[in-house]
Amino acid sequence: MSRETVTTQEVKFNVFRFNADDDYLPYYKEYTLEVTSEDVVLDILNKIKWEHDGSFSYRRSCRHGICGACAMKVNGRATLACKERMVDMIELFGNEMTLEPLSVKRAVKDLIIDKSDFWEKHAKIDPYLVDKIDETPEHENLVSQADMDKLLDADVCIQCGACHYACPAVAINEEFIGPAAFAAAYRFEIDARDQSNNARLEIVDQEKQGVWDCVKCFECQEACPKDINPIEKITKLHNMIFKEGMANNDVAARHAVGFERSIKKHGILDEGELVRYSEGNIGVLKHVPVALKMFTKGKIVLPWKMPKADKLDEIKKLVESSSTVKY
Amino acid sequence: MSIPIYTYDAIIVGAGLAGNAAARELKNEGKNVAVITKLHPLRSHSGAAQGGINAALSSADSIELHEFDTVKGSDYLADQDAVEFMCQKAPETVRWAERMGATFSRKEDGQIAQRPFGGQSSPRACYAKDRIGLTLLQTIYEQAFRLGVKFLDEWYATDLIYKDGKVSGIVAFHLRDTQIAIFNAKSVMFATGGYARAFKISSNAHANTGDGLSIVARHGLPLEDMEFVQFHPSGLSGNGVLISEAARGEGGKLFNSKGERFMERYAPNALELASRDVVSRAIVNEIREGRGVGPRKDAVYLDVTHLGKDLIMQRLPELRDLAITFLGLDMIKEPILISATAHYSMGGIPVDIPGHVRKNNTEFVEGFYAAGECSCVSVHGANRLGANSVLEALLFGRFVGKTMASEIDDIALRPATEDDAKRAIDEINWILNNNGDERVAQLREELQDTMTDHAGAFRTEESLQVAVDKIKELRQRHKNIRVDDKSKVFNTELQEALEFGHMLDYAKFIVESAIARKESRGAHFREDFDKRDDVNFLKHTMGYMDTSGDIKLDYMDVTLGKHELKERTY
Repeated sequence: MSRETVTTQEVKFNVFRFNADDDYLPYYKEYTLEVTSEDVVLDILNKIKWEHDGSFSYRRSCRHGICGACAMKVNGRATLACKERMVDMIELFGNEMTLEPLSVKRAVKDLIIDKSDFWEKHAKIDPYLVDKIDETPEHENLVSQADMDKLLDADVCIQCGACHYACPAVAINEEFIGPAAFAAAYRFEIDARDQSNNARLEIVDQEKQGVWDCVKCFECQEACPKDINPIEKITKLHNMIFKEGMANNDVAARHAVGFERSIKKHGILDEGELVRYSEGNIGVLKHVPVALKMFTKGKIVLPWKMPKADKLDEIKKLVESSSTVKY
Repeated sequence: MSIPIYTYDAIIVGAGLAGNAAARELKNEGKNVAVITKLHPLRSHSGAAQGGINAALSSADSIELHEFDTVKGSDYLADQDAVEFMCQKAPETVRWAERMGATFSRKEDGQIAQRPFGGQSSPRACYAKDRIGLTLLQTIYEQAFRLGVKFLDEWYATDLIYKDGKVSGIVAFHLRDTQIAIFNAKSVMFATGGYARAFKISSNAHANTGDGLSIVARHGLPLEDMEFVQFHPSGLSGNGVLISEAARGEGGKLFNSKGERFMERYAPNALELASRDVVSRAIVNEIREGRGVGPRKDAVYLDVTHLGKDLIMQRLPELRDLAITFLGLDMIKEPILISATAHYSMGGIPVDIPGHVRKNNTEFVEGFYAAGECSCVSVHGANRLGANSVLEALLFGRFVGKTMASEIDDIALRPATEDDAKRAIDEINWILNNNGDERVAQLREELQDTMTDHAGAFRTEESLQVAVDKIKELRQRHKNIRVDDKSKVFNTELQEALEFGHMLDYAKFIVESAIARKESRGAHFREDFDKRDDVNFLKHTMGYMDTSGDIKLDYMDVTLGKHELKERTY
């Protein structure tokens, strides 16, 4: 797609406006602007501020996708304003769109939100290399490129918060550390130079705040403007916790183990048994009403009627060969 | 309204590489230090550095060669004692960053990988793919955070408390609620970054408005070598966003509309890897002479297609992404469109090697320090070599932090009073209440257009005079501004108005220093005086602004050394 000419077209923007001091409720203001084929979303924000209403406020700095200041939402989809091309937005949403902060409930002024929860979560996972720093080293640590590659670009995270505020677990569980901080935990935990002795794994292994409360919806992967893929790191943390033998015998870890048991036994998922195994014989009782509903709709079957997958032998072998831990 | 007064041993303004490195040293020595930033530390523009950080690590390289390349690159305006200090400390600094966690790319044997860069005799730029700034900024911030350094995010510093040759704190306000506070301290460090945002085509962040420089200048303190602004050869066509020299370091070639590899005519030996000022002028000249490409014919081609997908994805992934975003061009498949972009400020707040701010050629200000791009040591002279800027910021930031820690106990705290905030309060109230009809965004655009058109890679007395006159006009119109936003919550319009006031002040330094320097040296190229003039201008410009805004120029000797003056060819 070589760019030979610059074209323009009209787009209508419904823009979230709110001033925490003056406004009881937020409102949406409409701006119709000429948009060029060179514009990114940040150019639109700038046009509104510089040509229409100077009080319109948003965070921005580097304007090329490396500082992480300008994350926001276009039609409910998280993005980094300075790296999102308007031609792509128009293709996706047409010539009318809504500009909003990453989190409406945390809005302070227009697109600026209170991100204190985000930074608190980040601080929680010891976000630094733990090592005794040689202040006058004569040599660097020798680390292979293969070991550096294990970071899987987690170090490229710019802390924009797009994934954090897209995460449904963060939205309903105040303790949940969230995808960005998990990616950071992975970044340091996997670093060959780090000497923290699994301290971060202990933090992310805790119920409510830890990786076990991830609902695996992949919203974080969708939201990330730097292709960090936080859920990949979350999954790695799950595995690391098992590998280190640190997983607590709690409902979260048992839920993961329950999957493996079910696949090994039936080749497919036995949802009823999964819940019983995760929560125990007493804990499972509170799910009886749901179980009955599921049963009447054919979603679960009685234990003795559980079907087996074809070629169960092969599936069993696969599970055994890929498993590194015995339970 | 009462003004809170917070007391610290040391206050650092700016949380890029220099500010964080200094803060970590101070904290390590048990000092009570706070870092004030108008952003969040991780948003600082240090993080945008792409290509690498220089250090003579390999046996094929030497400290002396690094010194020579830096001095030659500076067109002999750098102070050679400072250059020697930097080049000697560079290997230790890079390895220290690695020990703290920086994610350098590696060689086969696990050592830090290095790549060729412009103006350098040896592959010397230690790299982390094409994101050296990001990893260095994260690393130094993380380790400062780990020690418990106090960071005050989204506080905007508006004034310096400077009386009787001594600095005793700063005045700042919180962007969240516009609450003004005084930060009273024994010592203050400015690490406020560069000033290339005064130009329309610029690689710089919106935040790089050079506030620190004009805050200093408004107190009658000097600014050094302000005419030297680096124009980087490869900014994306149209908006100037940086495409690192790494693209050329890895083998990228430049072509004009006739398909000529035109650098053969300008720098037959170094070609695309000549010094930045040389390559930038070559590009601008090709465009001026009608051999430009792209929809506006305002660019040349940068071609890396021959490097292949694997190498591009391994070493230049960020650059590829930028060209796709802003140009819709994939550098794996096709050449991209680039042109010169205002990039780096060689000039700044004059300091000596340990970081003391100069009051004039011979005296220093008590309790005041500076490091990084806002300062002028001077290690870059008239033109900075690629991959020396992050080195300077990290190395001098750290060293100045050490200086501060060792001197702090000998400095008496001068208690602040609410009166110290008067200038800041008056300035803010004036902006909020002034009822004129000029808009800051409009004035700023006119200033930036003028600076790019008339004080850019090629300058003449005539063009610079246009800029001088325009700035004079803008200063008049600035008295007549009006802001829409009168609120106290994240008043970013107030912030932009304050920043524009700073731009207007230091832009005057740039053009007036440039008019007076009737020679061509490094990044400062005068078509009407196209040769270097060592007899009259082998000296640093020292500009002083008086209370009416007029600038007086003085000069200061360059510290020469073992690298003797030579004609500069590449």
